[in-house]
Amino acid sequence: MTANVGIVGIGHTRFGNSSEYDLADVMAYAATDALQDAEFLERRREIDQVIVGNMASGLFCHQSAVASSLVSRMDMEPVPAELVENGPASGASAIKIGYMAVASGMADIVLVAGGEVMRKVSGWTATENVATMLHTEAEYNMGLTLPAFGGMFTRLYMEKYGLTERDLALLAVKNHKNGAKNIYAHIQLPCTIEAIADGPEAAVVNNYIAEPLRMYSTCPVSDGGAALLLVNMDSPKAKYFKKQPVRIAGIGSATDTHCVHNRKDPLRLEAVRLAAEKAYRMAGVGPADISFAELHDAFSILELAISEEVGFFERGTSYLAVRKGETDIDGRLPINSSGGLKAKGHPVGATGVSQVVELVRQLRGEAEEGRQVKDPRYGMSVNFGGFGNNVVALICAKVEG
Amino acid sequence: MVDFGLYDAKAPTIVGYRCLTCGAVYYPAPMVCGKCSARRDPVTGKGWETFDLEGPCELLTWTRAWNLPEGYTKKYLLFGIVQFENGLRASGQLEVEDPRTGMKLSATVKESDERPGNPVNVFVFRE
Repeated sequence: MTANVGIVGIGHTRFGNSSEYDLADVMAYAATDALQDAEFLERRREIDQVIVGNMASGLFCHQSAVASSLVSRMDMEPVPAELVENGPASGASAIKIGYMAVASGMADIVLVAGGEVMRKVSGWTATENVATMLHTEAEYNMGLTLPAFGGMFTRLYMEKYGLTERDLALLAVKNHKNGAKNIYAHIQLPCTIEAIADGPEAAVVNNYIAEPLRMYSTCPVSDGGAALLLVNMDSPKAKYFKKQPVRIAGIGSATDTHCVHNRKDPLRLEAVRLAAEKAYRMAGVGPADISFAELHDAFSILELAISEEVGFFERGTSYLAVRKGETDIDGRLPINSSGGLKAKGHPVGATGVSQVVELVRQLRGEAEEGRQVKDPRYGMSVNFGGFGNNVVALICAKVEG
Repeated sequence: MVDFGLYDAKAPTIVGYRCLTCGAVYYPAPMVCGKCSARRDPVTGKGWETFDLEGPCELLTWTRAWNLPEGYTKKYLLFGIVQFENGLRASGQLEVEDPRTGMKLSATVKESDERPGNPVNVFVFRE
């Protein structure tokens, strides 16, 4: 089912440490920004549906029913509101459900907000909370964590394709360079290859997290919120919005085995490939049409593996493209212009929405100086749930005025 | 005579599952056979049999993880994914000095209470 759904408002908090604030307030701030951006704040009770993406407010904040809470913070009652949970892909799933609400005819205007406050708890507890998405008996009970799977996946890739730790460091340098220019990024500091790979102190600065993954190949634990206002562009209500919309051209999602060890080829991310294929089909485009992409680099290896699964590069060659600068802002196919999860941060429930906020900023030509992609037409995001067991791919298109 | 002191002497195990309709094997347990769609009743186990999952296996990949979950007090732990001779795979802890992908290992099971109050059976892969 396709519909003519436009994004007419975006909002985003600066990712980082919001641990002194309530999750609903963090999401409400981003949502209010999105409504202001759409010049629709005063008419917010005319919104047909609110969809909230959040992974684990119960674990991180001891808080439930956050969609109801958000609506009340924004004085939007009686607008209907529901929560969508899909692990770290909750944000993109919320957008997908918002799109489906419009496509079904049940709603013309949908507010989608994603958020997570993870830093109320210690890093030790955060690692534990995130690990609960693993298979309870066969993974979580073993003491496994998401970084441990990232490390094991990285080793497989290195041994098969010749990737080096220095190549992973090059990804960090690229993404931190972009993040340093992004006002919403958690970490707004560039880093050098000398500091994290080549220099005498590199092994200390860039210590191992889950070998061969180092700290600069792993995203930070972040708090934050992001929001979008979706509108049925074929509805009479579309005339309320003056800004040129960005169109949601394609959405696809797919699942894979819960246990990573049960995948036929543990180096394949089948759910990524299938989700991307569906999104391409729906949008009527292919990998060659994509101008830039936001890929879920919770671990740097995933930026590489996802870029291959979605068809940007031949298998096992994406790191060679990174060496040549092809994925830099001024390269052939910029990837993670926002800084990615590595530098922008990864508040798990917010990330999928945040990726699409970046697509909209780029397609509007509103990214900061030095990280604006040149003349983009199509942007793609891939939001990765679990260790690749529930993935959402999304394609946004510029609408020519 | 019954020696109640022996109640905890039972060796911990982790089991695989075999569908008696088509013979397909699984770990962990499915609720429906992926090959013949036979249902598994988790209470009675009717139509399925279990077998201890242990013994010879091959290391497919591994990591040394330095950020462990809440409750774990070790500085680091090694983890690996192995493949058994029957084709089943499993993830678990690795106790090997110098791990190398492809090395032959033996899977054992121990009870772990590193999350206090929540003892569970975990795989330990050793040479």
